[in-house]
Amino acid sequence: MAANINRPRNMALRVERFDYRMIFSKTGRARFISHLDLMRTFSRIFKRARIPVWYTQGFNPRLYIMFPLALALGTESDVEIMDISLTEELDESELMERVNAVMPEGMHINKVYKPVMSHKDIAFSEYEIRFCLVSDTDALKSFEEYLSQEQIIVKKHSKKKGEIDVDIKSDVQVLSLDKDGEFVRLSVRLPSGNDKTVNSSLVMDGYKAFSGEEYKLIYTTRTKILTKSLETFI
Amino acid sequence: MNYKEKIEQLLLSVQKPARYIGGEHGSVIKDKSKIDVRFAFCFPDVYDIGMSHLGMKILYALKNKRENFWCERCFMVEKDYKQVLIDNDIPLYCLESLDPLYEFDMIGFTLQYELSYTNILSMLSLGRVPVLKKDRKDLAPIVVAGGPCVCNPEPLVDFIDIFIIGEGEEVNLELMDLYSEVKKRNGTRQEFLRLAAKIEGIYVPEFYDVTYNDDGTLHSFTPNIPEAPAKIKKRVIADFDNVYFPEYFVVPYTSIVHDRSVVEVLRGCIRGCRFCQAGFIYRPFREKSVDKIKSETKSLCEQTGYDEVSLSSLSTSDHTKIAELLRTLADYTDAENVSLSLPSLRIDNFSDELLERLKTIRKSGLTFACEAGTQRLRDVINKNITEEEILSTCRTAFEGGYTTVKLYFMLGLPTETDEDIEGIAQLAHKILDAYFETPRELRGGSIQISVSTATFVPKPFTPFEFEPQATAEEIDRKQKLLVRRLQSKKIKLSTHQDDTSILEACLAKGDRRMSKAVYNAWLKGCELDSWSEHFHFEKWQEAFDECGLDMAFYANRKRDYDELMPWDHLDYLVSKRFLISENKKAHEARTTRNCKEGCSGCGIDKCYGGVYCGGKH
Ligand code: SF4
Repeated sequence: MAANINRPRNMALRVERFDYRMIFSKTGRARFISHLDLMRTFSRIFKRARIPVWYTQGFNPRLYIMFPLALALGTESDVEIMDISLTEELDESELMERVNAVMPEGMHINKVYKPVMSHKDIAFSEYEIRFCLVSDTDALKSFEEYLSQEQIIVKKHSKKKGEIDVDIKSDVQVLSLDKDGEFVRLSVRLPSGNDKTVNSSLVMDGYKAFSGEEYKLIYTTRTKILTKSLETFI
Repeated sequence: MNYKEKIEQLLLSVQKPARYIGGEHGSVIKDKSKIDVRFAFCFPDVYDIGMSHLGMKILYALKNKRENFWCERCFMVEKDYKQVLIDNDIPLYCLESLDPLYEFDMIGFTLQYELSYTNILSMLSLGRVPVLKKDRKDLAPIVVAGGPCVCNPEPLVDFIDIFIIGEGEEVNLELMDLYSEVKKRNGTRQEFLRLAAKIEGIYVPEFYDVTYNDDGTLHSFTPNIPEAPAKIKKRVIADFDNVYFPEYFVVPYTSIVHDRSVVEVLRGCIRGCRFCQAGFIYRPFREKSVDKIKSETKSLCEQTGYDEVSLSSLSTSDHTKIAELLRTLADYTDAENVSLSLPSLRIDNFSDELLERLKTIRKSGLTFACEAGTQRLRDVINKNITEEEILSTCRTAFEGGYTTVKLYFMLGLPTETDEDIEGIAQLAHKILDAYFETPRELRGGSIQISVSTATFVPKPFTPFEFEPQATAEEIDRKQKLLVRRLQSKKIKLSTHQDDTSILEACLAKGDRRMSKAVYNAWLKGCELDSWSEHFHFEKWQEAFDECGLDMAFYANRKRDYDELMPWDHLDYLVSKRFLISENKKAHEARTTRNCKEGCSGCGIDKCYGGVYCGGKH
């Protein structure tokens, strides 16, 4: 076993690679792990599980782990995607078991398979957002008003231009909006992919600006990652 | 809405929230209904620094190994999150349960540096625990403190109930067992403290009375209850090879200062540099066997998943089997694709074969803790390093392509003259010359020498505890002299800010009366003093003035050999007689051999497990 986890000393040697796609959860306290820290977290997880990971070849070999879609800090999800390459073929359920045995609280691998689609097929994410307000405004009614505007203008931070106003009306596809106890529950589909991404926080911050309300509690969960034709990304 | 829900909401809007929520791999969660004693291990600095500290990792795992104890972690918060906590009425909490500090049975601080003292007050206050011990009436919480700075705990006696003197692995559990027993029978705080005072290594300051002479020095220091011993002897783990060491670490998500596995290879130091507190308070020198170190390295690497392991000690090369140790570890780390880093390693007497291996292990820049610029002054401080060693190591390194050299010095050492300051500049220039003398085809592209100076701070339990600190004006003059003498763009000088050194000297050598000044300074807003952007020396000066205390009395006064020091009731095993004789030898620029060359009779009995101690037993 030990020999397998060595990266190749001889750089001329081409090591065969076996690609896997893992679908994982990031919930509870683990939702505060930043995207930047996730890479380091997983590289330690694989080391603990003694998984024979494949290293990029070259001057500065690095573990090959790839997250095609970033998840906003604080958002929960059971459908996150990670691609990884190994130097040997491992049984998928064994791989999953070994990794899950050494995962920190709130993180879990739900599925492992050979990648089918390519990252550029990702086009949409669906979110479920539950919130309640500090004030006793009728949150459902007020949020409906926000969504039914002719234009939904929100402030977006752009690297080049700083803060700019954008209209996201055509991007926001509301799947359902109702009450769940004291919470308002919103199900929404938003573009997320190479061409265009609208973060759920854009929609939710837009509401704050629109209404002047503050959230008392807000929980956001990504529920699906979809292709252009609304198939689940696999 | 409960605290936990609130915390999670607020974390959505702070910097690096993973530091404030716990849940890391290795963190210990227990069912609190089944716990007898809940212990909050507090590091009085921010997460990134505290999580790097080995002592905390050891004691955390040690306590949690006991089923009926639950030890959690708590750190100082940064200013932004502190404001968030205050604005939202959330008490400071521990990272495992997210329960507020005031709910714990025992709250323990580790004192690693003097400038963290005000953070203790901030953490207690944010955690809604009365800051002053006289305001804590119930059994819980008991506030304890340990770590190197408790060798003079007097400036903190108003805030801390119990100080733990020496090594904590045994005494922490004894104290918690006692607490558990007293709690079960509904005993009082007083009862607990009295019983605790009987445990070896436990110092309960309220059981001692202090009187002063007219000149402000201490007159007497006497116990006021029969249970309290006149001298409190530090605890030492004599069987160091079998001391508890954690088989797991808490592995953080965010990057921290030392983000790697760490294995302790030895404790204590054989060298006896006269300025170095660690070199005296951690005596005697004890080490772990190669097998033990290897198995600890292996289990930690496996549990953490770190790809780097480092050896911790005051001077790793003093391990009696250093070559065998490094070879064994390198075999393991090579096979597991883990890198081995070796701080505090002197490479004087290694074989070429081993040096070659180490090169592949880690190639970092060259670092020399020269401490003083001339051989005379290095003899005064008993720093055993010669100019020729430094230069020859540099020459070899330059031929191997190294291009950065870091040199560390102290300014204001006892007996220091301008010649010694000029010696610093000369040494740096000689190293520069050595680089230019290296054949062009061997040496690296461009050289960078950095010279760092810090102000000497005399510390208790060292032969220099009697010495005055140089005044700010003297240090300033010395720094300017050094700047004038360093005349190359290739040599970079960085100097340590001195006001913090003055405060450090006061806190290190202070007496009980200083506790009030610490309190006043904190009331004025002093906290995170070790961060230059938060350090306000004028507030500290005001606080000292308000208490009628003179900083110069503590920092800049030469003390007689027979003066009663504020820490003389503590016994760190090294005898006063030895410290005095070392001080005298320093003034004659005479060195003392290290323990390996022969025992110098510093007063430590061989029953404490020291490898070289020859004393009676
Ligand atoms: S007793 Fe001797 S060998 Fe032991 S620490 Fe002291 S000087 Fe060193």
